[in-house]
Amino acid sequence: MNKNKSADSSTKPNLGRRRFLARSSAAAIGVGALGSTLLSPAAWAAKAVGDHASATLLRMARDVFPHDRLEDKYYAQVLSPLAESALADKELAALLKDGVATLDEQAQKVFSKAYLDVASEADRVTLLKAMQDTAFFQKIKGDLMMGIYNNQELWPRFGYGGSAWEKGGYVNRGYDKNDWIEEV
Amino acid sequence: MTTKFDLNDDSLVVIIGSGAGGGTLANELAQKGIKSVVLEAGRRFKMDDIENDEWKMFGKISWLDKRYVEGPARLAKDFPNLPAWIVKGVGGATVHWAGVAMRFQEHEFKMKTLNGVIPGANVLDWPITLQELEPYYVKAEKKMGVCGTEATGMPFHGQSSHYKVVAEGAKRIGAKCEQATLAINTEVRDGRPPCQVNGFCMQGCKIGAKWSTMYTEIPKAEATGNVEVRPQSMVLRIEHDKTGKITGVLYADQDGNQQLQKARIVAVAGNSIESPRMLLNSASSMFPDGLANGSGQVGQNYMTHTTGGVYAEFEKPVHMYKSTVVPGIVHEWKDNDPSRGHMAGYELEILHLGLPFMSAFLKPGKGGWGRELADSLANYDNMAGFWICGEDMAVESNNITLHPTEKDQYGLPVPVVYKTDHINDTRMRNHAYDRSKELFDSIGAIKVNNLPPYPASHNMGTNRMSEHARDGVVNRWGQSHEISNLFVSDGSQFTSSGTENPTLTIVALAIRQADYIADQMKKQLL
Repeated sequence: MNKNKSADSSTKPNLGRRRFLARSSAAAIGVGALGSTLLSPAAWAAKAVGDHASATLLRMARDVFPHDRLEDKYYAQVLSPLAESALADKELAALLKDGVATLDEQAQKVFSKAYLDVASEADRVTLLKAMQDTAFFQKIKGDLMMGIYNNQELWPRFGYGGSAWEKGGYVNRGYDKNDWIEEV
Repeated sequence: MTTKFDLNDDSLVVIIGSGAGGGTLANELAQKGIKSVVLEAGRRFKMDDIENDEWKMFGKISWLDKRYVEGPARLAKDFPNLPAWIVKGVGGATVHWAGVAMRFQEHEFKMKTLNGVIPGANVLDWPITLQELEPYYVKAEKKMGVCGTEATGMPFHGQSSHYKVVAEGAKRIGAKCEQATLAINTEVRDGRPPCQVNGFCMQGCKIGAKWSTMYTEIPKAEATGNVEVRPQSMVLRIEHDKTGKITGVLYADQDGNQQLQKARIVAVAGNSIESPRMLLNSASSMFPDGLANGSGQVGQNYMTHTTGGVYAEFEKPVHMYKSTVVPGIVHEWKDNDPSRGHMAGYELEILHLGLPFMSAFLKPGKGGWGRELADSLANYDNMAGFWICGEDMAVESNNITLHPTEKDQYGLPVPVVYKTDHINDTRMRNHAYDRSKELFDSIGAIKVNNLPPYPASHNMGTNRMSEHARDGVVNRWGQSHEISNLFVSDGSQFTSSGTENPTLTIVALAIRQADYIADQMKKQLL
């Protein structure tokens, strides 16, 4: 994974590395199971781009904003309308198809296999990183950001409350509640 | 009954903009019996339009007309068309502001005297002092209902969990932290309810507990019968006669038709990008560089505050969104102490974002993706943090100019905003990042994220006040040095940015300016 050079990068390097390794192997196990369930063409409708591109886009989506505990359907909910629009929008269809083709080309060049078959998340991230500035990547990333983090259905999973005025706000619902800070 | 004024009525004050400056000026003049037309580029929103939803409100109320950001700063890459995060609508940026109402400090009016000439900067003393402004600060605090002040006697909001977490960290590193003086009711006041802590101050206050000209100054002004507000009226140019006096304002109305409203006085209050843009767009053979621009300072010295964000992650929940957006301020470093390695001061303003905005701002730009970011967002409920708000040095080359070829939907040249850090800004920001990390580490943060600046809601300095005409655009009353019946009434008249959020000072200046305009009209000097 691409570790950001933020203020924390010098702290707890071992923990960071352990967490990273644990996640990589979990992700690798995930990939092993993908062929049968996760990435079955039925996972989401994608007539416009075909089965392989659909599976690739779903894998890519999970690599862009990886939340291992979120079910595929939440990522598919972002990709489906995109593919739907691509049926009527030739430019968008081309953007998706060509994007997937380029991703596979790069994967072949570097790892001698298709993107979907690259087992380690870190390797796939390397490929994505190289495509980061493309319109294709930014389109997928932008739609995912809105589809995951602006998805009301998911807000409780992230511990975010959303609209509060109709419930009277938090003035009588625990705005001042904190039972740990003084004992830190 | 809605007041309507004739386009040919040349006895009117025409106020351009309805936010903290324009909205306040209109009401202050109206209460004195002075008639005005307020031209507002945006539409009039209703309380029903306000939702507790970050992206919906962003799309609904933001000023999203085409603009360019230029310069080497990261903002130009991350947000190439969104230099500023302000509002297009009746009420202007007071719909969006978080309600933080702090007075400038005495030294902030005389930064040049205090620090001498700073290479690469264009710092100037204000032509007024804190003492002169103090009575108007009291009036502004009363008008707006600022809690935690002597002026209102209204109590603070109480300590939210978010406040408690930061305050404990501040205590452990020996830094002063206090609840924020907010123009948000904590009691029924001025016909508006107390805050119920929805946590969406910046999306427009759904219940009207926060002061906004949208539902305070503007309707009060209209109720006098002395004011006509014309929404969706975009100013194209300000016109003058042979003697150089302003005669009226040409604007595009809601149907796109051009209208010319005659005027006795014009007050510009369209925020620090639009206000200089209007003056530049009004260039004529008599004023080839734009109105009021003999000094060449119109559009220059654009300041936004030196900003950045810091969000720490903990092992236990903070639920920062269950709070007023800014529950408190760490103001240990608000003084001017060059021994820190930088001039001027900064505040750490405790501030929450919802999950949707956090996903956009925690690591903005094209590189904002990947597992590290996702892991932090998964930890959203355990986050606490703040927005750094420090004094921004006036730099002449930070400016607003007109695009040489590209026009917007009104046929006006698109504004180009050039903004980059002075070395003082960089040092200040780094100081703030370092102190923030110490603060959060002292209470067991497991990770501290530094955020780069995002689009500016505090925009200042582009029509600055100066004692001498050669150094600035307006005098101590916000009146053009060159054109006596042309005023600037918004934050663009700020000579320095101070560390404080600008709204309270804009309102205090507008109240003071209304007194001056009334006095000058009475004496037949205007």
